[in-house]
Amino acid sequence: MPGIFIYSEDPRLAQQLLTPALELKKDLRQPVVALTTDPEAASILAALGADRVVVLRSALTSPEALAPAVAQLLAKEGAQVVLVGGTLRGKHLAAHAAAVLKAGLATDARHLALSDGRLVARRMLYAGLAVSDEELTLPALATIPPRTFPVPTQAPNPGVVENLDVLGDPRMTVFSSTPVQGEGVDITTAVRLVAVGRGFGHKEDLGLARDLAGALKADLACTRGIAEDEHWLPIERYIGISGQTVRPELYLATGLSGQVQHMVGCREAKVIVAVNKDERAPIFEMADYGIVGDLYTVLPLLTAALNKN
Amino acid sequence: MSEEDFDVIVAGAGPAGSACAYTLAKAGKNVLLLERGDSAGAKNVSGGRLYAYALDLVDPDLRGRAPLQRRIVREQVMLLDGARATTLDHGDYGDAAGPQSYSVLRAPLDEWFASEVEAQGGTLACGMRVDGFLEENGRIVGVKVGEDDMRCGTVVAADGVNSCLGRQAGLFGDVAPATVGLGVKETIELPEAVISQRFGVKNGEGAARVALGCTDGISGGGFLYTNTDSVSLGLVLNPGQVARRGRPIQDLWQDFKLHPALAGLLEGGVSLEYGAHLVPERGYHGLPRNLHRPGLVVAGDAGQFGINTGLILRGMDLAMVSGLAAARAILETTGPDAVGPAYLTQLETLALLPTMRVYAECHGLFELSRLFGAYPALANEALATLFSVDGRTPPPMLTQLWQVVRSHVSLGQMLSDAWKGFRSV
Amino acid sequence: MPKLLVCYKWVLDEQDIKIRPDDLSLDASRAKGKLSDFDRNAIEEASLIMEAQGGTVDALTYGLPTVKASVKDVLSRGPSRLLWIGDPAADQADAYVIANVLAAAIRKAGPYDLILCGEGSSDLFYQQIPARLAALLELPCVSFVQKLTLEGPVLTATRSLGDGTEEVRVTGPAVVSVLGEINKPRIPSLKQVLGASKKPSEELPLAGLGLTEAELEPKALRRAPRGFLMNRKNIIYKDADPAANVGKLVASLEAEGLRG
Repeated sequence: MPGIFIYSEDPRLAQQLLTPALELKKDLRQPVVALTTDPEAASILAALGADRVVVLRSALTSPEALAPAVAQLLAKEGAQVVLVGGTLRGKHLAAHAAAVLKAGLATDARHLALSDGRLVARRMLYAGLAVSDEELTLPALATIPPRTFPVPTQAPNPGVVENLDVLGDPRMTVFSSTPVQGEGVDITTAVRLVAVGRGFGHKEDLGLARDLAGALKADLACTRGIAEDEHWLPIERYIGISGQTVRPELYLATGLSGQVQHMVGCREAKVIVAVNKDERAPIFEMADYGIVGDLYTVLPLLTAALNKN
Repeated sequence: MSEEDFDVIVAGAGPAGSACAYTLAKAGKNVLLLERGDSAGAKNVSGGRLYAYALDLVDPDLRGRAPLQRRIVREQVMLLDGARATTLDHGDYGDAAGPQSYSVLRAPLDEWFASEVEAQGGTLACGMRVDGFLEENGRIVGVKVGEDDMRCGTVVAADGVNSCLGRQAGLFGDVAPATVGLGVKETIELPEAVISQRFGVKNGEGAARVALGCTDGISGGGFLYTNTDSVSLGLVLNPGQVARRGRPIQDLWQDFKLHPALAGLLEGGVSLEYGAHLVPERGYHGLPRNLHRPGLVVAGDAGQFGINTGLILRGMDLAMVSGLAAARAILETTGPDAVGPAYLTQLETLALLPTMRVYAECHGLFELSRLFGAYPALANEALATLFSVDGRTPPPMLTQLWQVVRSHVSLGQMLSDAWKGFRSV
Repeated sequence: MPKLLVCYKWVLDEQDIKIRPDDLSLDASRAKGKLSDFDRNAIEEASLIMEAQGGTVDALTYGLPTVKASVKDVLSRGPSRLLWIGDPAADQADAYVIANVLAAAIRKAGPYDLILCGEGSSDLFYQQIPARLAALLELPCVSFVQKLTLEGPVLTATRSLGDGTEEVRVTGPAVVSVLGEINKPRIPSLKQVLGASKKPSEELPLAGLGLTEAELEPKALRRAPRGFLMNRKNIIYKDADPAANVGKLVASLEAEGLRG
């Protein structure tokens, strides 16, 4: 039976997928079917509005291992729309399924709609420089970034949960795995942020930014290089196209040039301020206010001036 | 002796290097043209205006294919002072029959010229810097590029005004600040029709302007060239005086760019790019003692070929002619040791050295400090006085003029300047 | 001695793309072609394997006929041979079509011991081709690889997945997608650049790949992109005295209600 299918190995993200799925249901008038490997997550999804939840039971439960089985299931069921949580694993599964279904797949869709029987997905191009709509003929798939949609409210009638035994793909064996040491920091809710980039020469110099953040009652954020290459700050503080997206009231960028790949994560901030010693740095075109100057001189002065009451 | 990788290796795909490589490739030589930048022209900045005779000398068919901007039909000299400007404007409104010059933009021009070299069978490699030479028995037999050794019959160093290769080869020392000018330049985008209208020319035609009195008394001047849909605006300054004055070059630049006399011409323009470059300014007396040694010749700005008479700024054409001279010298000689002397002979035959000798004393003009402050002020004041009517009884015209002159300069100073100026030209 | 294949895309340099302020459309007229960033890493990784173990590296690309301009650049980075498919409709192709074309070419030119791709292209960043290719060719896909070793038929890789890393093993031919951090591509030397023109490159005509019309019809149609233009105040303080600038900025922050 045709349907709107959702899947994410991340339970929270799976719940978020229900929101656009239920919206599409209004137009397509097809049931929303959630796929999961976790029975606990299944009951929550059923309670939140999925018409059916299929718990996939397999010895191998990673999205990559389940991809061929999921693809087969989607084909058999005649899925019309498939929304997959846009983690890297989810993207792998979605692309595999799309190939099997001979279907189009919109990566990192931030907005979905139906038009003339086609799924219209909005996504970014050129590292965030531009936005474009893609119209996909059905059946169509889309991967959705985390926190794009909220979790829906409780549904009046919970859906049905069923189990299905499937065979995972044994060809790739995982022999060790290391979760990332997160610090449990969530800067996506911060009202003010001070961001640091490669203008800082040494890890200790970040203290200047910390002091400024203190004076502003702000949290600390950074560019990709600082988190992934230098490891001076945890990955949760990295703002950019493959990092966090934030919408603070104040975003104070220090010692970073303002490349599109970074700015795409913060460009909806209410006020953007920049401190950079290069007058021609792109950040100044994207800032409301800025100071051209050496951050080693400016930051202490700014911190002192803000602390002076 | 191991095999040569190429007959000739040219370092630098600017006007000199490409003119040389083009001529050699066309004559069937195996040429490698190396360029440090990611593309030919990437590292180059010019005012600029190209005197077309040079392109014709290399190959008369080139002019039709070159990405030239506007043909210059109006020549202007502007004297600035405070918020005033006096402009001398010469235009040919008939059928221009004489020698032509064109405004050019270096990125497209250099890229095009390098592609012409490839079309003739030359090999172009960008993103490659010549790090040093291969030498055998005191003769240069090739170059080092990164970890690669490339052997050849002759090396042509066309690597710009600050020629590292010429220095490494021991032909000359570091370029002295007194022999170069510091040029800054901005390209400002404006619609083609707007430029044509503001400068009073047709589409395809353009104006060239030099300006004096816009450098805060520092020896130097401004320039302006109209391109197809942009204006090249710039300043050339004596770097030593800039340093002594202690004013950042940005400030001097802003003062010029924002001069009210230019505001109307540039209004609504979008700044596309900004660059700086050194230009050879000393003229004939600034030429290096040696332009060659066995296995190597130096061409273009690297040889310090430049002419600045105050009214005329020439660099690109001389570069092309010198590149052509180097190519001809290589083609007509057998044995790389004969190339150097043949190169100098070609520079004479092609009128490059004789021309530079004629202008050899012109740099004397740049030592007349009043040319850059007092005289432009004087000219503006004189004309302002002559043209002003306030209803009162004025003194006689000559008396008025004399008063103005005396308020800016003494008779002795004027005579001294006149004498020095006369000797310079 | 492994037979390797690298798929690459020749893209417009996004740094040269400008947004037209009046209608937010994109102006790519000044954009030059470049090798997609992560494909550079994939080519480097393949070259490194070949340098260590021998074998061959084929480079494969599907794009507009102008993709021919990429040949010199790619061959100067190590591959032994380049196969290119030029198609005027390539800029309309979506991941579905691209994967169909590449898979068909691989069936013709292969089989290969290992197929390498970048994680996604710098322009559109679909992040789909590797897994799609693997599905079509019925090969396992090892995606998002930051480190890999090939010993005979055994591929060992470390995948970096955002929330952690995992080490995996696959035996037999596979498709791999590499992350930018897997290596630092070397800059080709002059001799490598000059040598590129001596290596073989071959056009594979699209018509000869045996694809049906349906396989070449995109499922996703891209509508004209709109640039994202920031409309910010751009009040920049550039006094020579940093204290003066700081004073002005603090006043501005106060005016915005953002102080303290």
